[in-house]
Amino acid sequence: MMPASREISLSLKEVVKTYVMGTDVVHALNGVSLDLARNEYVAIMGPSGSGKSTLMNVIGCLDVPTSGTYHLEGQMVARMSESQLAELRNRRIGFVFQTFNLIARATILQNVELPLVYGGVGRSERRSRAVSALEKVGLADRMKHKPNELSGGQRQRVAIARALIFNPSIILADEPTGNLDTKTGDDIMAILDGLHAAGQTIILVTHELYIAEHAQRTIRLRDGVIESDMAA
Amino acid sequence: MTIATDIRESLRIAFDALRANKARGVLTTLGIIIGIVAVVLTMTAANGLRNRFRESFSAVGTDVLYVSRMPWVVMDDFFLYRNRPNIELREARTLERKLRGKAIVNPTINGNRDLLYRTETMSGVDVIGTTDKQTRMSSAQPQSGRFLMAFDVLYKRHVCVIGTDVKDGLFGTVDPVNKRLQIGRTRFRVIGVMEKQGGSFLGGPNFDRQVFIPITSFVRVFGGDHGRTDVMVAVKAPTQEAMEDLEYTLIGEMRKIRALRPAERDNFSVNKLDTLVGSFNSVMGVVLLVGLLVTGISLFVGAVGVMNIMFVSVTERTREIGIRKAIGATRRSILLQFLLEASAIGLFGGLVGIVLAAILTAVINAVLMPASVSVPIVVLAVAVSISVGVLAGVVPAYRAARMDPIEALRYE
Repeated sequence: MMPASREISLSLKEVVKTYVMGTDVVHALNGVSLDLARNEYVAIMGPSGSGKSTLMNVIGCLDVPTSGTYHLEGQMVARMSESQLAELRNRRIGFVFQTFNLIARATILQNVELPLVYGGVGRSERRSRAVSALEKVGLADRMKHKPNELSGGQRQRVAIARALIFNPSIILADEPTGNLDTKTGDDIMAILDGLHAAGQTIILVTHELYIAEHAQRTIRLRDGVIESDMAA
Repeated sequence: MTIATDIRESLRIAFDALRANKARGVLTTLGIIIGIVAVVLTMTAANGLRNRFRESFSAVGTDVLYVSRMPWVVMDDFFLYRNRPNIELREARTLERKLRGKAIVNPTINGNRDLLYRTETMSGVDVIGTTDKQTRMSSAQPQSGRFLMAFDVLYKRHVCVIGTDVKDGLFGTVDPVNKRLQIGRTRFRVIGVMEKQGGSFLGGPNFDRQVFIPITSFVRVFGGDHGRTDVMVAVKAPTQEAMEDLEYTLIGEMRKIRALRPAERDNFSVNKLDTLVGSFNSVMGVVLLVGLLVTGISLFVGAVGVMNIMFVSVTERTREIGIRKAIGATRRSILLQFLLEASAIGLFGGLVGIVLAAILTAVINAVLMPASVSVPIVVLAVAVSISVGVLAGVVPAYRAARMDPIEALRYE
């Protein structure tokens, strides 16, 4: 599947993830293999219970597979410690969530700065990087506002600015337009398209076909396995 | 992320969180405030009592040894001492002769007698038979008239020097010098009034409610019990440094006077003010310990309050914890954030508590007894309040740090 000429960004091999729920063992992922090249734009689709959230958690380094291997930028993620995973999430992954997941008490600027705080970046550099990230998403004039003073679309743009702040390997967008009206959703997708055009690798988790159509490649999951993997 | 930046950032985050929940923080802090006030006041009160004690005995020199039949503080079996012979005035005189040039020796006898001047009476007044050397033993001097002189003692004269409380009680505004008052059934002429020495300490001796008469007159008039006298001999060292040597010499001379064989134990005691202070301090230590234990309970209740509010804080910020973890917060950062938040509550409570305690101490100082909040107490209180916060925060913070980011992000 993977275009051989391009650099591999991430690679999953025979990834299995099982959960024990009471006495039942649930196979959320049942042998998923997947390669992603740098600057790919991929949509992951599937009905609920198909394992797409679990796959996203594994790729996002929030969870480790029960078996199988996962390499991100050549680093073996599958057996990493909690703090190594935290560092990967900090530097290599940029999350964009359906519910934005901004910290309500903090200002927009502080929200965007936060990954840099955990990354140990000094105060003044943090400030200038966060300001320029907010300028990129067109919110430089709202820096001192709290998230609840912004519209949904603006909040999602803040989340994108936060995701981008460390120049991550992958942007992981989980239903990024799920809480937005169509018009605002299109604006957000336009931003993601623009990021892809600028060389960013993007993984889009969605169940809306018209959102998935923004991607170059669509992976469909069902019952913990890849059902289809097609280029758009 | 280094520890230093970790701490700095966590502190900022913690203070932001506290500012967002002012009312709750203040209420929680109240528990700590009350606890710290209680602890600080206990220690301050103990300090005040100690100072008051020292003050009330300041008239008794610390460079004076007291030879007496019984030790001042009976630590072990009283029956070890009860068969000891009295210290006779004769023995005191011999001791004085032996120690001439090395120390000033002043024998005294105490008794309680009722006083009468015309129609005024005072009962149970400390009557002290002493000599002219009395004024060299302590700082107390007569404010009017004169003190006893050697010839008063030699000729067993019926003269007395009274304390200010006795003067006020019997004579009022009348000048007592050369007036005659009755001690027991015998008349004595007042020749002097001592200067005021200050209040007594919780049932301790009142140095202003005393009457000094020549020791020889005491023996002749009151005669001791069945003709026997028991004298206490004060021996003043020329310098503080000479105390140790003097004590050694003193014991040696007394043993010689008593003709004790080497194997025999001393049948007299040598006391120092230190002995009293020491026993007072050990009693005070127990009182302080019990006080701290009791007040510590209120501090503990405060700590439970902080722990409770930290659990609430962690639970209601579950999603925030998930977000922070998703964007790269380590367990350590989360742990530190909540620990610092808890210790900030503790510190804040401690500081407010110290201020309140200082105000209360000022009130106590004004109405009850000399008391002041000392620097070590403040430092201790700050340290205690921070550690209470940290201890109360450990379990909630650990729970926050251990949260699964996926679960936390899903939390509504």
